[in-house]
Amino acid sequence: MTGKGLRAAGGRHPSRWLDPRGRHLGTWAFVLNRLTGLGLVAYLYLHLIVLSTLLRGPDAWDGLVAVFRRPVFLALDVLLVLGLAVHGLNGLRVALVGSGLLVDRHKALLVAAGILVGLVGLVAAVRTFV
Amino acid sequence: MATRTRPDGGSGGLKDSPPVDFTQAVGRRQPRPTVAWLAQVVSGVLLLVLMTVHMVAQHFVVEGGLRTYQDVVAWIRNPVVFAIEALLLLTVTWHGLAGVHAVLLDLGLRGRAERVVARVMRGLAVVTVVYGLWLLATIASRG
Repeated sequence: MTGKGLRAAGGRHPSRWLDPRGRHLGTWAFVLNRLTGLGLVAYLYLHLIVLSTLLRGPDAWDGLVAVFRRPVFLALDVLLVLGLAVHGLNGLRVALVGSGLLVDRHKALLVAAGILVGLVGLVAAVRTFV
Repeated sequence: MATRTRPDGGSGGLKDSPPVDFTQAVGRRQPRPTVAWLAQVVSGVLLLVLMTVHMVAQHFVVEGGLRTYQDVVAWIRNPVVFAIEALLLLTVTWHGLAGVHAVLLDLGLRGRAERVVARVMRGLAVVTVVYGLWLLATIASRG
């Protein structure tokens, strides 16, 4: 369905997801979860395509591994870990609050998730580059 | 794949799903969760575990972050690893495509278009899992 069709159907156009007007912190976390989720689904299929190189034998795979060990790809690996951490930990918060648990602590949960994401990203960066 | 659900908590006009903005939920009676919401929560929690195992075992503990061809084949041939990777594939496909479906519903997809998209999502999920399992089995058979 096109953006026009979605608007006609009464939905919210994706361009409004990042509209800051009248938004709460929880809404931003929700939008972030959606964007990281869509990015991770796209990565899932990219990952399957890359893994299909294994079907072409050792030379093809090991050549690809050599390319992926370049710094730019390692940086993308850290970005991937960050995306997984954001989506996973914020998703856990959404699941808890959405299930009626710790509803009155949702902001503290968001801060805790943010700190954990930072730590995971730091560990991933150190493990990857140091 | 279930339809008319809001697995990640958006409203999208569906009466029985948690609100988009969870700050709105404070002090209010919680809406009753749908089966698909619970399935998305359970698959999400399972993914936290499986993805952590996958990232640590496949990348973090491996020299250079990626295994060579021979190492990948030997790794996948381990029945426990094969089972974990197969479960990860199944779970991530479900969770991911149900999430995309939820986003489309939240954007206002309704009626015939919704049914077509639901069918496409189901088909894509089946193709993804079948191809992924075939890929895993093919790699494992090369040892």
